[in-house]
Amino acid sequence: MNEQDTKKRRADRPEKKGGRTKRDGTLKAPKKLKLLFTVVDRKKAELYADLIAQYSVNLQIILPGEGTAKTETLRLLGLDDTARAVIVSVIRDDLAQAIFEMLEEKFETVRGGKGIAWSTPLTSAVGVAIYQFLSDYREGREDPAKTTERGKSK
Amino acid sequence: MTFSHECIVCIVNTGFSDAVMDAAREFGARGGTVIHGRGTASQEAERFFGISIQPDKELVLILVPRELTDPILYALYRAVGLKTPGQGIAFSLPVDQVVGLSPLSLGENEEKKTDGANP
Repeated sequence: MNEQDTKKRRADRPEKKGGRTKRDGTLKAPKKLKLLFTVVDRKKAELYADLIAQYSVNLQIILPGEGTAKTETLRLLGLDDTARAVIVSVIRDDLAQAIFEMLEEKFETVRGGKGIAWSTPLTSAVGVAIYQFLSDYREGREDPAKTTERGKSK
Repeated sequence: MTFSHECIVCIVNTGFSDAVMDAAREFGARGGTVIHGRGTASQEAERFFGISIQPDKELVLILVPRELTDPILYALYRAVGLKTPGQGIAFSLPVDQVVGLSPLSLGENEEKKTDGANP
């Protein structure tokens, strides 16, 4: 193999930038991430965590929490069921809309599954491997936001 | 960039979450979620500032319309701030999307907003 061949191979090799490969010559910016908070009844925490996990979510934390009683009287009478769970998930910005639509539908249709969810932007993460883990980036795999029905942004 | 809602996070000593909610409700908050936690602080800093940190904490998450954030934060500062037994700190995070808020609560907030504009 001569020097010219080596140069040609280098030129043909897909360029890497920040752990992401440029296959078609276009620069791919990293997907933005968000922190999703979902507050639901504690009994439904696993259900919602599993639902969210279907959207390329690799890191979720379920924290046991308490809702604040609506009135002091209800609390004194023990009529308030305040056991809640806070699910903290790292989600991709491009899948956020699909996740919110799914959650909105489930909040209305699942019995006892009423809840609230909100997201806050995540501004930094250190380490390429960590970022790839959080964004579920896998080399050579098609983008789930484009390929799956649930990942389609409307 | 501004959004319609913000998430107020208030970290207080255990037992003060009711005081947090009382102060927040006074300025239009509807409900919150309490998470139990354990605080950590530099012992050297504790000695320097002459304060002691109770390790058991409660973290209260309150989702509020943006226009209510400042009055609620100020109310929390006064009711459960660092100079009170609650020894609380409060801050807000931007919220770019939200689902699950009842239309009723949205309507009430609109009313409060109008009231605030014409005191």
